[in-house]
Amino acid sequence: MALARRGGIGRYYNVNGWLFVAPALGLIALFMIYPILWSLWMSFQSGRGMMLKFAGFSNIIRLWNDPVFIKALTNTLTYFVVQVPIMILLALILASLLNNPKLVGRGFFRTAIFLPCVTSLVAYSVLFKGMFAHDGIVNSTLEAIGIIGEPIPWLTHPFWAKVLVILAITWRWTGYNMIFYLAAMQNIDKSIYEVARIDGVPAWARFTHITIPLLKPVILFTTIISTIGTIQLFDEVYNLTEGKGGPSNATLTLSLYIYNLTFRFMPNFGYAATVSYVIVVLVALLACLQFFAARERDR
Amino acid sequence: MDMRTYLPRFAAIVLAGASLMAVTAAQAKEITVWCWDPNFNVAIMKEAGARYTKAHPDVTFNIVDFAKADVEQKLQTGLSSGTADALPDIVLIEDYGAQKYLQSFPGAFAPLSGTVDYSGFAPYKVELMTLDGQVYGMPFDSGVTGLYYRKDYLEQAGFKPEDMQGITWDRFIEIGQQVEAKTGKKMMGLDPTDAGLVRIIMQSAGQWYFDKDGKANITGNAALKAALETINKIMSANIYKPAAGWSDWVGTFTSGDVATVITGVWITGTVKAQPDQSGKWGVAPIPALSIDGATHASNLGGSSWYVLESSAEKAEAIDFLNAVYAKDVDFYQTILTDRGAVGSLLAARSGAAYGEADAFFGGEKVWQNFSDWLAKVPSVNYGVFTNEADTAVTAQLPALTQGTPVDEVLKAIDAEVSAQIQ
Repeated sequence: MALARRGGIGRYYNVNGWLFVAPALGLIALFMIYPILWSLWMSFQSGRGMMLKFAGFSNIIRLWNDPVFIKALTNTLTYFVVQVPIMILLALILASLLNNPKLVGRGFFRTAIFLPCVTSLVAYSVLFKGMFAHDGIVNSTLEAIGIIGEPIPWLTHPFWAKVLVILAITWRWTGYNMIFYLAAMQNIDKSIYEVARIDGVPAWARFTHITIPLLKPVILFTTIISTIGTIQLFDEVYNLTEGKGGPSNATLTLSLYIYNLTFRFMPNFGYAATVSYVIVVLVALLACLQFFAARERDR
Repeated sequence: MDMRTYLPRFAAIVLAGASLMAVTAAQAKEITVWCWDPNFNVAIMKEAGARYTKAHPDVTFNIVDFAKADVEQKLQTGLSSGTADALPDIVLIEDYGAQKYLQSFPGAFAPLSGTVDYSGFAPYKVELMTLDGQVYGMPFDSGVTGLYYRKDYLEQAGFKPEDMQGITWDRFIEIGQQVEAKTGKKMMGLDPTDAGLVRIIMQSAGQWYFDKDGKANITGNAALKAALETINKIMSANIYKPAAGWSDWVGTFTSGDVATVITGVWITGTVKAQPDQSGKWGVAPIPALSIDGATHASNLGGSSWYVLESSAEKAEAIDFLNAVYAKDVDFYQTILTDRGAVGSLLAARSGAAYGEADAFFGGEKVWQNFSDWLAKVPSVNYGVFTNEADTAVTAQLPALTQGTPVDEVLKAIDAEVSAQIQ
């Protein structure tokens, strides 16, 4: 009797519970799961615009023979390998400097360094484009103080264009990562540092042997977030190069290539879907790798 | 109030209101148009709409101004989603992309063959909007090219307007070097990420990235080879001011930093937007290559209007385009004088405005010149992959300027284009 009633209540709660989440689940299925599955199906098709036909693995074969895809992939990985470590390291250093209670104007510096990340991606890209123009403020300042003799071709030289993109995303996102580290640092028990200081551990060793190990979960989190962000990089490159990924495809990213395949070139949604799955696989692999690396060191 | 009398009365009012709305909806038609450039296409379409509304007061216009890339993106997204609700009735499409849309989205655009008399238009415009015997668009402006030059700078360097007529690219570069030596001004602005100049030079000799059958025409393309060599000479002679992007490039001549501009006639409005430079500009035919088939006439850009098949106001939209763009010669005089738009309706050229002198260009009859050059533009097949080929060309330009032989550069472009066009 009691069991039956409990079962009845259990079922009542079950049914009601599922009813409550059903609208959300329905929406997720419609707007997330269905498009994901549909794009997977699309990646096996090819053709012009709406004239898509099943093409088996031909899109995947096309990837290997497509010099523009290879270029976009190398660029994206270059941004990732160069920019993410620089940014993470810079954010860590800034966070530990700003965590020092003796620093005057901490609040101001924190706000100033965090501020870039509340600016709109498009607005700051357009500003950077103006500042780094051939006769823009950056070149004229560098020339005025005698660091360079000739203006640096920030936007028209393949190497400097890459440098500019890296500068831009580092400026935009360092403060964002720094806030995570600051929050985590404030959760580290001060007594640990006191003990270390009494034992005569120098500041640098305190940073590498106490701060960094205790921040490991946060560092792992920010690394994965930054990896995903960098692999999906689009806005900055699109706005800095007027959607072309130039000069000479030197700044082209995978996301921008997907955009071009869909909207600028002859629309081939099938091939574009295939390239977008490359990003999925890439992000999944890199995230696994980072989890693996972090776990190994724990033992 | 008694419910029994109230309800039917209420229902009657609602019904009457609804039918009244339906009647007004059936009478007042609003045609939505998507296009770009508020000083050019948008303003011209507003003028065209005003003319049509005067004769047909029941038809009004909603002309939406987007950036060109946004028009293309929204159109492509709307067409591929399969729902036409968000699409306009009329859309402007650049000529390079016409075949891409017609072939990718069959049935999306209304054929106008039966309605419009296409024999009155420049043939190259009609050809690029024809697919399987049907003609789909309303030919609009032409991008016939010219060499705009600052008379004052060239005079300082010792050149008269006659010296700019019918020159070759080599001579153009020589003049550029002297202009820089005497005035300190660069000859032209050049955006290395924009293949526009390559296309101008290539088409001036009657070639394109693709042959008549739409196959890639890169490695054996003498005009493309000569165009790349010309760009390389301009760069190594350092007679250009580098520009990053369109607005930067426009800034090179609006600021008075360069002595010449080589581009489509639609730039006239922008050139004339600097009143302090009035009387200082002249227009000459563009320089020619020194190969077989070379001419002084070419085309850059230009676009046409297309009616969406799914449009609720399809009939009105087609009638509007036909009444104004295919028949109203006076309209073409207005947009020429006000906006510098050289239309592709041949009859328009006999109008008064085409023969008028322009004080901004020191009293030259520039429009007559442009319309003469328009008749000489070599017809080429733009194909469906011009954007892809453009990207490949700009990708290889740095290699060219770093000393890679032009034949190898052509091979690299060919490899990239071949991988893209499938």
